[in-house]
Amino acid sequence: MLFSIYHRAFTGANTLSTCIIRQCEKKDVSDQNETTTKDVKPEVEAKANDGGETQQQGDGKVEQVLSKPSQVKSDGAKSGKEGLLDLLGAMKVEVTNKRKLKNLKTKQSFETSAQYKSKPAAMESTISMFQKATVQASAKSDALDPDIVAAASAAAATLPNQSQAESELLKQLRQRKALTEAQKKGDINNLGDLIADMKVGKKPARQNAWPADQIRFDDDGQGYTHDRGITGELANIRKRRNVFPTKRLNIFSPTTDQQGAKPTLWDMDFANELSLSANQMPRNGFEEMIQWTKEGKLWQYPINNEIGLEDEASVPFHEHVFLEKHLEEGFPRQGPVRHFMELVVAGLSRNPYLTVQQKKEHISWFRDYFHQKKDVLSEADVDLS
Amino acid sequence: VAYFALGSCWNAVAQVRSYYVDWRMLRDVKRRQMAFEYAHERIRINALRKNTILPKELQEIADKEIAALPRDSCPVRIRNRCVLTSRPRGVKRKWRLSRIVFRHLADHNQMSGILRARW
Repeated sequence: MLFSIYHRAFTGANTLSTCIIRQCEKKDVSDQNETTTKDVKPEVEAKANDGGETQQQGDGKVEQVLSKPSQVKSDGAKSGKEGLLDLLGAMKVEVTNKRKLKNLKTKQSFETSAQYKSKPAAMESTISMFQKATVQASAKSDALDPDIVAAASAAAATLPNQSQAESELLKQLRQRKALTEAQKKGDINNLGDLIADMKVGKKPARQNAWPADQIRFDDDGQGYTHDRGITGELANIRKRRNVFPTKRLNIFSPTTDQQGAKPTLWDMDFANELSLSANQMPRNGFEEMIQWTKEGKLWQYPINNEIGLEDEASVPFHEHVFLEKHLEEGFPRQGPVRHFMELVVAGLSRNPYLTVQQKKEHISWFRDYFHQKKDVLSEADVDLS
Repeated sequence: VAYFALGSCWNAVAQVRSYYVDWRMLRDVKRRQMAFEYAHERIRINALRKNTILPKELQEIADKEIAALPRDSCPVRIRNRCVLTSRPRGVKRKWRLSRIVFRHLADHNQMSGILRARW
């Protein structure tokens, strides 16, 4: 789902552009055109330009190289902030199903990633321009990643109402993070608490709700009750949305017995050998299916789409997407080889099916290949800096 | 003469097929395994070949490299045969069965949810 957002974003921009910051700007410009109003936009742009220019004049230490990306960053970041504010404003919205939640979460993470990406290039200028940012960041970094917190504070610093915007941002980020973790654990109860402040759409009131045992009358005056038997009871039970009541009955005390020592490797080996020697042929279809599941021929139920990839869930998304840092060493800076590798990296960033390790191997394969073919490339007058 | 302690392991004397149906199916299995092994290499070399950015000399060398890979490693040689009879034609992809086997199983009620068409 995250990568589908990228797909939508990047299909607009051609992959031939070489600078991610430029791409971010393009996306933000398109966002701006869609979401912000006309009278806010020139104001914001003028402010950004003034801020950038005065800083360039005033701060002699800022190099020429840094000043350009800083201005680009503030431009892109400004429109990014606008988009982010609009998103925050629209956050208190009817949320009725999981998909909308996930979309909102991914949209927000994309916005934070846009700021995060432009952060390394302009970190020095950020610190020199907005001194309060880092101080405030340390105050509110309880559960969030410090990079995200720093990015949020840098984002809030460009807004008029800095402290309030920052606290809002951090609150939303924390909420989103808690939501993701609750969803990951599958903890439905806490999820309910988290969504508590979001408005929930109500189902229309059920019409024609007859009482279950209403006596109906035939033409001859004899009454009869609709005898549904047990199906009515079962239907009623199924209608109740939670089968397990929220309050405990406290009939049984929670188990406190110990498992004993963890089974050692030898115990497991013994059990394995025993099962091998005793039960060789499956006696029925169930055992056959169990055997196939153990061998890996049959899927495990309930179906888990990410069955071999549990470790990948903990890998943060920016390692999947921002792969240019692998291109820094081993590849030339200019030329067709670099162009080709940037296309490869763009494709990999949009690929949700490979693990990060596989992507790195992909890039290193190309590195080795181009090293081997150095003489061919020099013959063809390709720049190998 | 050797005896075997049968015990409980021979209660179900089901027909266990431990061989492939025919040699062509075996060769197809080998091609699939090989295509899986060489999949990454092939896609990378093809990426080098099929673009207009890299110099032509490099692309010609890549052409020769991919031609030098074993012939069974290309996925084009894989044929979706029927899993039970190894029939190369008339195989429905979703069930991996040939039309004859499919009809046989469906008529004997072994396919969950498959009905004879009627409208």
